[in-house]
Amino acid sequence: MERVNSLWKRRFLRSSSIVVLAVAWEWGARMHFVSDFLLPSLSSVLIRLWDDVISGEILTGLGLTLLRTLAGFSMAAVAGIIIGVTIARFRAVRWFFDPIVSIGNPLPKIAFLPIFILWFGVFDWSKIAMVAFSAVFPVIVATWAATENVDKFMLWSAESLGCTRRQMLWQIILPASMPEVFTGLQIALPVSLIVVIICEMTMGGEGLGGTMMTSMRFADSPGVFSGIVAIAIVGSLVVKFMEIVRHRLLVWHQESNV
Amino acid sequence: MNETIFGAGSMTGNGIVFGQVTHTYRPQRGRPVLALDGVSLEVKEREFVALLGPSGCGKSTLLYLLGGFMPIESGTITVGGKAVTAPGPDRGIVFQNYSLFPWKTVKQNVLYGLEKQRKPKAEREQRAQELIELVHLKGFEDSYPSQLSGGMKQRVAIARTLAIDPVTLLMDEPFGALDAQTRTLMHEELLAIMRRTPKTCVFVTHDVREAVYLADRVAVMTSRPGRIKEIVDTKPSNGISRADYINTPEFTEKVDYLWNLVRDEAIRAQEAH
Repeated sequence: MERVNSLWKRRFLRSSSIVVLAVAWEWGARMHFVSDFLLPSLSSVLIRLWDDVISGEILTGLGLTLLRTLAGFSMAAVAGIIIGVTIARFRAVRWFFDPIVSIGNPLPKIAFLPIFILWFGVFDWSKIAMVAFSAVFPVIVATWAATENVDKFMLWSAESLGCTRRQMLWQIILPASMPEVFTGLQIALPVSLIVVIICEMTMGGEGLGGTMMTSMRFADSPGVFSGIVAIAIVGSLVVKFMEIVRHRLLVWHQESNV
Repeated sequence: MNETIFGAGSMTGNGIVFGQVTHTYRPQRGRPVLALDGVSLEVKEREFVALLGPSGCGKSTLLYLLGGFMPIESGTITVGGKAVTAPGPDRGIVFQNYSLFPWKTVKQNVLYGLEKQRKPKAEREQRAQELIELVHLKGFEDSYPSQLSGGMKQRVAIARTLAIDPVTLLMDEPFGALDAQTRTLMHEELLAIMRRTPKTCVFVTHDVREAVYLADRVAVMTSRPGRIKEIVDTKPSNGISRADYINTPEFTEKVDYLWNLVRDEAIRAQEAH
């Protein structure tokens, strides 16, 4: 019982700065240092959020935002891993992608938004494509580096135990690269969330980003703040979920045994 | 030329023959370096030969060539009369840094080579269990390598290699990363294993005592380019056990003699840098 208590205590202490921030927000808003319009109180934002949850309004928006995020992210994950592996393995693929990746990786991908709207329209597909395009680079880079740098002696060991060149990729190279590939995915996921919100804000329409922009236009600041709180909660949950999946998948990895 | 002299079924049996092996190391930048220069050596079946030399003398390279991991540019290497062209399960290898598959448990690591041999499942399981017990890792079957100490990891690597029952065992400074106490225990364990499952063994090391303690013969290599400088017989002469051997004047003399040979080369290697 003692241990359980101290565990909760530690968890509370770790997130206590959030509590401090929330109290400061509420207190600051109630003291009316600035107008309600500029900074509505946290409680009024939470009440608004709760109302939107009850009415289902925010859930449709949030659902749509999440759907776009995950659709784009999944495409980036699959494409990124395939491209990364083939770059590391085939000279022709490397010749093609190496310069593209070096230019594309640091590029602010959002610059392509007008083009993507032209190509894919203003609805879901342009946003999903934008997410996929932005999130694919960290996955490519991580997979490329990981699969290329698998320990030579591990490959030799497998070979001498009877592993053929065809089996090498699936049986040795991919499992050995898993931790680094997963790190690439963990970088790509928040990128996906950022890009989807930016796209929704610029293009408007359904989705959390669009709703927040509409609220702003109607001078509905609790609506804007409730959007921020909602995406903060959902974003941290999604990232946390990835961490849990990582721990499950990589039980063998050193980090899990510390 | 060795084809005719040491053809299949020759007097060397499953022994190993290095014939005039020369190897040039070509770094991506910088000029090529002659690593091995005409190395000839014969290892008889079930003989334990240590390759001893200063670091950078090409002893590991010679072992990798024997393993088939790198192309042989000049000269020949035959095992049991057959020329080495690629890695194969007839030559099991143990590396210094264990090179275990970290995503597999101890048992899955040991099973890997057996699965490649397509033996029936029950037989594989039994053999893996036997080997895990042979290297004293019973109870750790389901542990991951990251949960084991260095000595235990190397025992897993040895079990994984022995599982496929290779004719020859290649060891690349296998105990170099271990602390002195663990290393001594591993020496005893390796000798015990070799008594139970005798194999031809080529053992690369720069530790003179280790070489004399374990090997039947020690081949001393020169510093770069690596050549065989001298081959010294290190078998205890009166048939005493290895554990007793270590306390005899004979052992000390051999260590002393070999140390002087290696010392000259180590000094030369340092001066060359």
